[in-house]
Amino acid sequence: MNSPITNGDQQLYSMAQIIRTEWLKIKKYPAFWWVMGITALTYPGVNAIFVYEYYDLTEKRSAAGQVVKALLGNPFALPECWKTVAYFSSIFVFIPAIVIIMLITNEYTYKTNRQNIIDGWSRKTFMTGKLVDVLILSAIVTALYAVVALIIGIYNTTSATTGKWQMVYYIGLFALQTFSQLSLAFMVGLLVRKSFIALAIFTFYFIMLEPIAVNVIRVKLHSNIGRFFPLQVSHKLIPRPAFIGRLDEKDYQASLEAVKYHVGYTLVLIVLTWAFCFWVNNRRDL
Amino acid sequence: MSVLTLQNISKSYGKIQALSNLSFEIPQGCVFGVLGPNGSGKTTLLSIILDVLKADSGNFLWFGQPGSPEQRKKIGSLLETPNFYHYLSAVNNLKITNSISGRGDYRAIDAVLQKVKLFERKDSRFSSYSLGMKQRLAIAAALLGNPKVLVLDEPTNGLDPVGIAEIRELIIELSKNGHTIIMASHLLDEVEKVCTHVAIIKKGSLLTTGAVEDVLADEDTIEISAADIAALATVMKGYVNSIKVLQDGNFLQVSMPKGTARLEDVNNYCFSKGIVLNHLVFKKKRLEAKFFELTNN
Repeated sequence: MNSPITNGDQQLYSMAQIIRTEWLKIKKYPAFWWVMGITALTYPGVNAIFVYEYYDLTEKRSAAGQVVKALLGNPFALPECWKTVAYFSSIFVFIPAIVIIMLITNEYTYKTNRQNIIDGWSRKTFMTGKLVDVLILSAIVTALYAVVALIIGIYNTTSATTGKWQMVYYIGLFALQTFSQLSLAFMVGLLVRKSFIALAIFTFYFIMLEPIAVNVIRVKLHSNIGRFFPLQVSHKLIPRPAFIGRLDEKDYQASLEAVKYHVGYTLVLIVLTWAFCFWVNNRRDL
Repeated sequence: MSVLTLQNISKSYGKIQALSNLSFEIPQGCVFGVLGPNGSGKTTLLSIILDVLKADSGNFLWFGQPGSPEQRKKIGSLLETPNFYHYLSAVNNLKITNSISGRGDYRAIDAVLQKVKLFERKDSRFSSYSLGMKQRLAIAAALLGNPKVLVLDEPTNGLDPVGIAEIRELIIELSKNGHTIIMASHLLDEVEKVCTHVAIIKKGSLLTTGAVEDVLADEDTIEISAADIAALATVMKGYVNSIKVLQDGNFLQVSMPKGTARLEDVNNYCFSKGIVLNHLVFKKKRLEAKFFELTNN
């Protein structure tokens, strides 16, 4: 006897159909694989450079080298490695952001967003597809970070070390930060619609505008309000590595303390970002 | 039963009123032509019924129900330009159409590509296609899964004369098989060859709608000629049923109320006035003439 089709079955089928359709759009898109390849090289590559720099500094037998070693500890040993690699990797989120921006602006360039609606998707389904893209890409980037952190960590940790998995929750924080920042990149693409302009705006804001604005506000106005800027909200999820934090221990402890609050702020920002994206897409003519 | 019912649809772009209180019905099984000059609102109208644009007011019903994604899945549509992923082949683009709409399957994709004569190039990227090939692919996407209702916006755009004839034959064949086809076009000759019903719109307002023969046959027209065309024109202006007498080279086009043009009576009348006709035919009114008549006023 056939079991009745429930609402849950229907939703599961719809989600599978959305993922399948998005996969059909992506799997033969050369630019997607190029940028993913660059991402796959960048994350281990950048962290490897920092690891080699560290060994280059600390393996010197000079007094200075030994002072540096004593001061830094080994930020690439477990469990600290989870945070150190997360911090360095998070700087390069603008590379997967390129993919996210291309995936949404392509739809406008080729007018395929309107064709998807004509063919039978609702605007909500279309946006759900894009939300799935951002989620999947965030998961891929997070997995890449986790693998890089684990390999570097194992390579740099002695077997006697205890608490290797203490800071493994940084995988969750990295995932949240990546999803939040890629969601913002998506929003820029959705609003601007032109790929190069959207890429320029996001990259300029990410690399230049927000960091400068936050620091100007902090130094000139003595205000910490900059932590509520869109990228800073999730940037604060992954504090600086401990060895940098030693330059200002009080500030470092405050940044660790702020993480739990920023988890909440980031979740709120993610909800607001996607609510706004769904609202915009639902209202505007295609 | 009506496939589509439009009720007081209005749409503006800022100060431009694109559609103004448009209402008409499209019967099942017809080939319905939406006609109008450039900028008259044809594409805006089709965009609204496909939910690409939101109407400012009014509503539309597909099969008596408000428009929904589920209904759109059953409608094959080509709107304005062929919209496909440029980096994908014809087959992979149609797989996306299939995945979203649920219409057809992979075997059906090959079949529609053969139907529009793109099968040989099915694995080529969309970006490598000519304008005509892109249009053929858009028609293939609309035909995928053999939907009972098709919405085609300027379906012969970019096609060569052979392609235009093929699409014409295709529409006639689909119509014979009971499909309902809604097409917007400004190629009046094509529309006249395939459409059973029309709606003519200008500046967003409906000028007329109905079965083609009803729209065209609001009056009779005869074409006559004689050696002295000026004298013939003077005589015909005095004919009891004449509404309008127009000279077209060596011929006169005489309009009369519908059903009153009897060639024998005209011939007798002219002969009684001393004029011998050398040409006398009943003219079927062309859609083009009606279109100009309506849209030029």
